[in-house]
Amino acid sequence: MKDDKLLLELLSAWEETYKKGQLTLWIFMALQDGKKYVDEIKEFVEAKSKGAISCEEQSLYRALRKYEHISVLAFDFQPGNKGPERKYYYLTEMGQMLYARFVERNIQLFYNQEIRELLNA
Amino acid sequence: MHKNMKALTPNLLKFIIIACILTVVFRYFLSYGIEIKSNPIILFSAVLYALAMFGAGFFFGKRDAEYLPIYDIGFRSHLSTYIICNGMGELWFLLGFNSPYESIAVIHQSAIIWGLFLLGHFLFFLYTRKKVINGLNRTDLFE
Repeated sequence: MKDDKLLLELLSAWEETYKKGQLTLWIFMALQDGKKYVDEIKEFVEAKSKGAISCEEQSLYRALRKYEHISVLAFDFQPGNKGPERKYYYLTEMGQMLYARFVERNIQLFYNQEIRELLNA
Repeated sequence: MHKNMKALTPNLLKFIIIACILTVVFRYFLSYGIEIKSNPIILFSAVLYALAMFGAGFFFGKRDAEYLPIYDIGFRSHLSTYIICNGMGELWFLLGFNSPYESIAVIHQSAIIWGLFLLGHFLFFLYTRKKVINGLNRTDLFE
């Protein structure tokens, strides 16, 4: 019982550290999937990460503004459902290259047979 | 600054507008206080002006950082304040709104002394440029 509590505490501490920096990857994956507006990005991240990555609207808007500022994503306006026009975000050419290079250097290694075996152990 | 860096953010613009209004009001009461030789009016308007400017800078600076965390160690707001305060002072004399007991030399002297501090701030600002990518702190860029 005591071990279970410690395990959960350690897991929580590790995840807190691990999840820092993850939001960018999930936003980029959402936009790699296609143009999306903020709510769609949020839904994508929460659904595909099975709730592991929480995506508060304020943090999401702030992150999108930063990525737009550094020209890795852009947006265009498209009509919403009966409402005002929505900003549909997409990865720019620079964003596509950044995403591809990041995945190649940091994610692809998890597809290595040896690593996959270790992960499945 | 990078060609794409949006130095003039909406919150900085709001700060500039508020600072302009506060400076005009301060200048009016300062000249009035000097005109009637009232130390309490001069002192009170200067203290209120300083507090109001600090409050406006704090409020809009905080909102600006929340909107887009541009890493400029406060240089944009310092530069804006410098231009507004000294520019408005010059304009006050140019338009003849000053009291006859005021001297434009004081405006020039304070602009030079303050300008030296601004220059120091600018040099420090340039020094921090290596920590930024397109104006944003590289350690806060990705989350």
